[in-house]
Amino acid sequence: MESFFVRYRNHVVLLAVLLVQIVGLATQVRHSGRQNNSLTEEDSRSVRLIRYWAQMVVGPPQRMIHSSRLGIAYWWSHYADLQHVDSENRELKKTIDRLQLEQAELLEDAHQGQRLQALLAFEQQYIYSTVPAQVYGSSGADQSKVFYIDKGAANGLKPDMPVISADGVVGKLRTVFEHTSQVLVVNDQTSGAGVILETTRIRGVLKGNSAGQLEVVGLMADQRIKPGERVLTAGGDLIFPRGLPVGTVQKVSPDPDRDSFIVVTLVPAAHLERLDEVLVVTSTQPRFPPVAAQDMGTSETLKGAEAAAIVQQMKASEIMAERLPGLTDPNAPPAAAEPAANTPAANAAGKNGTTTPAVPPAPKLIPTAHPDRFTPAGAATPAAPSTAPSTKPAASPSATKGRPQ
Amino acid sequence: MRISLLGADGRRELEIHRYPLIVYVLIPLVAVILQSWLPRALGMWLPPWASRWALFDLPLLVTVYFALGRRNPMQGTLMGALMGLFQDAMTHYPIGLNGIAKTVVGYLGASIGVRVDVDNHTIRLLLNFGFSMLASAIYLVVARFLLGLEIEWRGLAELAKAVINAGIAAVLFPMLDRFRVRE
Repeated sequence: MESFFVRYRNHVVLLAVLLVQIVGLATQVRHSGRQNNSLTEEDSRSVRLIRYWAQMVVGPPQRMIHSSRLGIAYWWSHYADLQHVDSENRELKKTIDRLQLEQAELLEDAHQGQRLQALLAFEQQYIYSTVPAQVYGSSGADQSKVFYIDKGAANGLKPDMPVISADGVVGKLRTVFEHTSQVLVVNDQTSGAGVILETTRIRGVLKGNSAGQLEVVGLMADQRIKPGERVLTAGGDLIFPRGLPVGTVQKVSPDPDRDSFIVVTLVPAAHLERLDEVLVVTSTQPRFPPVAAQDMGTSETLKGAEAAAIVQQMKASEIMAERLPGLTDPNAPPAAAEPAANTPAANAAGKNGTTTPAVPPAPKLIPTAHPDRFTPAGAATPAAPSTAPSTKPAASPSATKGRPQ
Repeated sequence: MRISLLGADGRRELEIHRYPLIVYVLIPLVAVILQSWLPRALGMWLPPWASRWALFDLPLLVTVYFALGRRNPMQGTLMGALMGLFQDAMTHYPIGLNGIAKTVVGYLGASIGVRVDVDNHTIRLLLNFGFSMLASAIYLVVARFLLGLEIEWRGLAELAKAVINAGIAAVLFPMLDRFRVRE
């Protein structure tokens, strides 16, 4: 027996090592009951430990290389390469001015949108807080689109938190260690996110293909989808907040696996291969962040001042209207207003304590001096003496009764 | 070109390459660190179309190098398994996919090293190309047929990776030969 193991020890070791790995593999895959199995959502304790050890070995040297590279890049950009700083600074100032104006307009729209959503009982999630992180390493395998960041559970990060950059969606946290985290990029074959096409409002599922390109799958053939259309997160996957830029449509091709379906290939909004810094969204809230809320308060104040100015304008116009000549008889008796106060509407308003809209005063007709067949039937003809220029017109009940109200 | 399949006498004359212990530790470690760091670094410098084709597998090359040089199938097996498992631990895929592929490569490399002149550059080039294709094939077979995972196969990319690996090996192996202990 001993001679057998000695003689075939190479084969025995090979088989033993392979067997152990095959058994280990079997425990890491979830049987979905369909044709294809899938990866487990979360690594088991032992697998997580192996990944942690690997990170402990590979991580520190990588971070050192990354820091030194950043240091050299910092030195170069801050001290050595300052040729275009002045012109760039001027351009940036112009951009800031433009963005401030745009922000004020957008805040108004956002505020209105929030009110409408409140009316529809629809709760919108806004990005509330983020944690910036440095990217320092990748998986090193072309099949596995993951990278590592220098923030972990100690910084409040948890699995499935979305990762974004200034340009758009990047991915989500898959495994979180104490001080580092593994990010699954959106262009990986196993990733997925709900997306919506900006103008056509068509929804689909975002996935990566084997070439590392972004694809929207699960779409029925639609002539309206054209290259150049923007794609945003739909917010339905409960991971990515709604409305984040994902990419733009590059081409539309038929789905090779399913008839009448199409595959939309995207150009990613974020530079997925050139990421240095990312933001991990640690919290989304159904309200605006404090800075935005403050901006909106300022906007409200400005709106209040605007309203006051409008009120002032209205007062001025009223004064002007009073001074202008009208159809009102300046000699009409004040008693004419009394019957209006006794109208049923006025009485009801008084009783109920509610106000009814004021009826605009009807123009007061000057008494007809010489009635003819066109004169309204109710219109009273003043007595001849009362029309005499020398006498004041007497308040006649019959005269007021016939006036249109 | 001296491509010679060695007979029994020639095999006995084959030199088993020996290295300082630190080389056995440092070279694989540097390989896995660079494998994890270089693709991203290249992605920053190269245009997107080029970075998509920056495919290489340094842990595989180190496995092949030591397997061919040491000519010990057991050591080749263990070295391959260790390198593969380390690589797997850095990805989000199950641990063992690369492990199995590189275990087989390490074993075969050591077994072939006994039979051929591994110092010949052409043989090294061909062996690295072949082992790279073999590793990719084993990875795919295990992932798709053993585990039933839905992983797409990019034949052209794997072919490109094998060619690039062979090219890197042609430069890297003579550099690593400098660490060899001369007796």
